[in-house]
Amino acid sequence: MSVAGFIVIAFMLTTYVLLDGYDLGVAVIAPLVARTDRERSVAMASIGPFWNGNEVWLIAAGAALFALFPAAYAASFSGFYLPFVIVLWLLMFRGIALELREHLSSELWHQFWDVAFCASSVLLIFIFGLALGNLLRGVPVNPAGYFQGTFAFLLNPYAALVGCFAVATLAMHGAAFASMRIEGELGARALELLGQIWWAVLVFYVAVTALTIAMRTPLTAWWLIALPALSLLALLGARYNAQKLRPTATFAMSCVFVAVLLAASAATIFPYLLPGFPARSSGISIFQPPPSAVALSCALVVTLVGIVAVSIYSPIVWRRMAGKIRVE
Amino acid sequence: MDPVLADRLQFAFTIMFHYLFPIGTMGMAPFVAAYTWKAARDFDEESARIARFLTKIFAINFAAGVVTGIPMEFQFGTNWAAFSRRSGAVVGQPLAMESMFAFFLESVFLGALLYRRRRLPSIFSAWAAVFVCVGSWLSGFFIVATNAWMQHPVGFSIAPDGTIRLENIWALLFSPFLRWQFAHVLTGALVAGGFVVAGVGAYYLLSRREESIGRRLVRAGTIVALVFSLIAIFPTGDDNGRDVTAYQPIKLAAMEGLFETTHGAPLAIIGMPDAAGDHLIDPVFVPDLLSFLAYGNFRANVQGLNAYARELWPPVELTYYAYHVMVGLGTIFVAVAVLAVLLLRFGLLWNSRWMLWILMLMMPFPYIANEAGWTTTEVGRQPWIIYGLMRTAHGPSPTVAAGETVFTLIGFAGMYFLLGVLFLYLVLREIGIGPQEI
Repeated sequence: MSVAGFIVIAFMLTTYVLLDGYDLGVAVIAPLVARTDRERSVAMASIGPFWNGNEVWLIAAGAALFALFPAAYAASFSGFYLPFVIVLWLLMFRGIALELREHLSSELWHQFWDVAFCASSVLLIFIFGLALGNLLRGVPVNPAGYFQGTFAFLLNPYAALVGCFAVATLAMHGAAFASMRIEGELGARALELLGQIWWAVLVFYVAVTALTIAMRTPLTAWWLIALPALSLLALLGARYNAQKLRPTATFAMSCVFVAVLLAASAATIFPYLLPGFPARSSGISIFQPPPSAVALSCALVVTLVGIVAVSIYSPIVWRRMAGKIRVE
Repeated sequence: MDPVLADRLQFAFTIMFHYLFPIGTMGMAPFVAAYTWKAARDFDEESARIARFLTKIFAINFAAGVVTGIPMEFQFGTNWAAFSRRSGAVVGQPLAMESMFAFFLESVFLGALLYRRRRLPSIFSAWAAVFVCVGSWLSGFFIVATNAWMQHPVGFSIAPDGTIRLENIWALLFSPFLRWQFAHVLTGALVAGGFVVAGVGAYYLLSRREESIGRRLVRAGTIVALVFSLIAIFPTGDDNGRDVTAYQPIKLAAMEGLFETTHGAPLAIIGMPDAAGDHLIDPVFVPDLLSFLAYGNFRANVQGLNAYARELWPPVELTYYAYHVMVGLGTIFVAVAVLAVLLLRFGLLWNSRWMLWILMLMMPFPYIANEAGWTTTEVGRQPWIIYGLMRTAHGPSPTVAAGETVFTLIGFAGMYFLLGVLFLYLVLREIGIGPQEI
């Protein structure tokens, strides 16, 4: 049951990255592809009805972690205290930017929120990547089950590299979404930009994968090789489809790429939720401290029923909002 | 600064600011749903205009609620790690339910409600509005379920290492404390919704524009305000008070400023508690009424604060004043709503500009009453974070220093100041623009 809990959390976080990832990504590429005020409005409108629902996956994953593994929830959120509060501020600021931009038609107002929106999104992705990097590297959990994540510890080169990788990857993901959602020249420009970002993604991918494998050697299971290989295939697939001007297939490939990478990360740290640092020292796993069976089963039922319900009604609603939008 | 105080200040500030928005969401959602339905079913243009206008305000309110709500979900972990570690197996459940069953519903369907292509809303939009309403009420239910458990823990056991284990989730969801607390919370939000809608309508009537819409808003708003301000007192407020009497007698004594245990305890209408001197300064009493309200018997014995060790007392002044502000405002709401509905009934309201002025100026007060009610509940719960089980002083994160919390508190204050100014500006602007032609 603990393993099922781990899978549920990993699934919810992956869904969060796939969904909120594209709207964060659109924010990153918006200043690069949208040249006029009107085009920037369209770029924002392309994610307007979705971002809020997407962000709920992060809240839900946090709540599920709280209910399933309270010790890990308590240690990670208090351990990453300042970075986490900064994430909260950025999330708020970004939400404000998205919601407020269209309320006034002043160009200065738009320019301010455009910059705020892009900058907060880039920083957010970077910090999320930084957090993932530190999870893969491990954190110094003390015997009482807590740790103190100082900036000196968290801002290590490996984690920073994962942060940059995250920015490039989600920029690509956002470009794929934008090209799928927006008609005409703006959509085409996004697809063109994707081809350029792709090289950065590839370089970071090779560097991060090599470092991670070096850090975690000896590799304990075949899927720690298979998953990175599969993600490489998806990355190549994204480029192939982008060159064939097939936005939907490109976006699908980008989704596979991100999902497989996150699955590989989850597989790397399993069965730990917070691996110890240095490597192989004890952290907080899904078995230690032992979770209570009633709480685990209750939270599992809640999250699974919720996920099934959301998977049924979200697509129905999305279909009503589907289709392309255009610059008028 | 004392780290516990820093954490408490931060939580109090962020939750009180956040809660302003759920009041509006829970209170206005039924109006949005009702007008959208009417517009979709009867192809009524005016209802469509009202629906779109209210939806705009609702959406701004909702967005502010979401952005200020995200920190709430995570503050248990960042600032209250010891509490989370010990009780997360229980407290995490209703929070997980809130995300899974309420947040997704609200946000996905609000997206659908806002994304509209046709002039008149479709039946799909009407359903979306209903789901948004259901989602916001469910969200409130699960949050109050979490709080009710902290007020009156049920369905748990304690492991040898002190961790609190979940034994029965149904006991938590059907807790006797939860029923009336949730009913009272929801009622409070609907009183606010009613007065806000009526106040906006009164503004249009006073400015002599959109008078047809203004009348509809005033009519609907005052009737809702009347019904729910009555329900706020009886049965929901009354029964919630009885639960406090039964499960938290110290809180009751602090709320009422009752220091000595008394047979036939009087109800203090006004008066200032002097916690050091153990008495109310300059009080006005109604004899025996407190005994009646608490136990249904004018001669019943009500425990005073002095029956308990001082270290178990909540902060008396704050609990007392917050409670009296809530009750005082609640009484004023009934008076205003009764008067407005009587004038409406006899066709005099549209010519009574003074009454429209009162209705317009009433708008902020339900918010104050709601906040005061929660202050009574939460401050009155002290010194416990989980009533009778865990002290608030044992809840904060061991690895987070007071200095860090003060820094983030300042940051939140700055952020929320910006947000508050923008929110007010945008909402007042929408009201100024008014319901547009469709």
